[in-house]
Amino acid sequence: MPSFSKRGLQHSTPGKGSAAWALAGQMRGVFALLLVFILGIVFTPRNLVTGQSVFLTWQTQSDILFEYSEYGLLACGMTLVILTGGIDLAVGSVLGFIATLFALLLIGFGWGVGAAVAACILAGLAVGLVNGVLIGRFGLQPFVATLAVMVAARGAAKAISGGIKVQPGARTWYAMQEGTPRVFEWMTTRLPGVGIQPATLLFLISILVMYVVVRYSSFGRKLYAVGGNEEAARLSGINVRWTKTSAYALCTVFAALAGLISASRSSIGDPEAGFTYELDAIAAVVIGGTTLTGGQGGMGFTLVGVLTIAYINKILSLNAVQEPARLLAKGLIIVAAVLIQQKRRV
Amino acid sequence: MKRELLFGLFIAGLTAIAAGCARSPSAPTASGGDARVWNIGFSQCTLSEPWRVQMNADVKAAAERHRDRINVIFQDAQDDTPTQQAQIKQFVEQGVDLIIISPKESRPFVQPINDAVKKGVPVIVLDRDVPGANYTCFIGGDNKQIGLEAGKFIKQILNGKGNVVELAGLMTSTPAQDRHSGFVEGISGSAIKVIFNADCQWKEPKAQAEMRSALSRFENIDAVYGHNDPSAHGAYLAAKQEGKGRENTIKFVGIDGLPAEGQKYVRDGLLTATFVYPTCGPESIDTALKILDGEKVDKRIILPTRTITKETLK
Repeated sequence: MPSFSKRGLQHSTPGKGSAAWALAGQMRGVFALLLVFILGIVFTPRNLVTGQSVFLTWQTQSDILFEYSEYGLLACGMTLVILTGGIDLAVGSVLGFIATLFALLLIGFGWGVGAAVAACILAGLAVGLVNGVLIGRFGLQPFVATLAVMVAARGAAKAISGGIKVQPGARTWYAMQEGTPRVFEWMTTRLPGVGIQPATLLFLISILVMYVVVRYSSFGRKLYAVGGNEEAARLSGINVRWTKTSAYALCTVFAALAGLISASRSSIGDPEAGFTYELDAIAAVVIGGTTLTGGQGGMGFTLVGVLTIAYINKILSLNAVQEPARLLAKGLIIVAAVLIQQKRRV
Repeated sequence: MKRELLFGLFIAGLTAIAAGCARSPSAPTASGGDARVWNIGFSQCTLSEPWRVQMNADVKAAAERHRDRINVIFQDAQDDTPTQQAQIKQFVEQGVDLIIISPKESRPFVQPINDAVKKGVPVIVLDRDVPGANYTCFIGGDNKQIGLEAGKFIKQILNGKGNVVELAGLMTSTPAQDRHSGFVEGISGSAIKVIFNADCQWKEPKAQAEMRSALSRFENIDAVYGHNDPSAHGAYLAAKQEGKGRENTIKFVGIDGLPAEGQKYVRDGLLTATFVYPTCGPESIDTALKILDGEKVDKRIILPTRTITKETLK
């Protein structure tokens, strides 16, 4: 991988305009992704009966997207926050809280899907606004504010569920005592004709929409401005508070969407769901090439980052690599990605 | 200044709330009748695992049956060793008649347990043994035995031959190591092969992802051995979501057998069997009563597992 990064560096150094710079950076990320993909082709286990590659099948390829749809959504929201120079540690807990709430509304209270989804998104928005107001209005450091919300959201998840996993029959008063909510199965079953699950679709559409928003809308430009130089942004008339608050609110809404997927995937509302997911989301954003200092990067980078981690995980998993080696490999890859970033800044 | 003051008030309020929550529900004073009500201190290492929540519920239910004789003070150490050490000390200072502890670790509790026993407070240790401590009684399950039973069970339902996927618990922990080695022993001497093995760290989403990899690699999977019920359940869902109907042909076997979890999955036909890892809750209260009555009890009580299948649930 280092040899690739050096070659990439020569391309990018003369880039002065931010567009050319971004493109070069993106190419480097794509290079890394391609490399991982090739690794997957080379090191694929083969089907014992047919001898076919297990990696290069539609099933495996779509599984990769499916498995990473929650991380993808978290990373999507996280990108907005990181672009402003902030961080959101609460997304993993929010995922757990919303997954529990969604299951509780459907199974415990017997709500319809529409009402339950709406309530969950509103709850996510509310938590996000708490983050946003603490940071934007009261000037708390993002790390501290979202750390507090991270702890509290996990507490809320356990409080509403009574500390147990919400599933049919878990409590005698639950409206649903048997079976599985239909929406859970729908979310995780391949759509006929499309060939991928609604969960995957939700992730891909979110990334696409936010790509357009970040790249072409005035809100997107404000995110970069605030992250690049907050004081300059303020002086040029940008409402910094509002921009930050919106970024955190949106980020948490994406975490809420991830929570809906999490509940559907495991068909239960687990208050422990999403534990430490925020770290994977941050890793994906950083590996993609969005810098933690803010103002540089974008949604395309994040998609590349998510796919890179997802592919690495899948390749390690398909080969049944043992846990110690997996963790070492992941650590190395994060370091490699960050080194590439640092070179770009020189 | 004003802000600091407000913040101070906020913290003070929080502390007050926390103190209110932490107070034990019933003050352990004697009831005034002629029969003495024994006070038992119960320290649980964490309540973030369903199995431990069940253990507390079992202890509570058993204590409720002997309400006229004992009063149990519950403490949750929230996964923190120093907190739990302090709880043991505090129980002794409070003057409880007996301590039950489900410790987070072994070594750090040798001293606190020995101190309590030296001061004349009997100690019952649950689930995780504390070697070197002079406790009154240890009650626990035997993970190796459970793994062995699970192995034998799979050997039996597959008629001694087939392909098994093993979705392990956190392999750096002794329960997972024992559930693995017991299983290997259980299937030994048969033509059963473990074709795929992954460390799923007791986590259902991880087990689901690993199972998906196993499914795309292997056409013929006959059984899945999950080190806990959520892992087996995750494997079932992965097979179901694959959409080839393999969830109906693969046998899924888990461990723990909690009423609302594993037993329910078996009843619903998702798992073929689960093996109960006893919570020791009812037994701990029974043993406590014996000790308080001055009876002699065994120093080690190992509880057997139970196999839960659709037939046994009827």
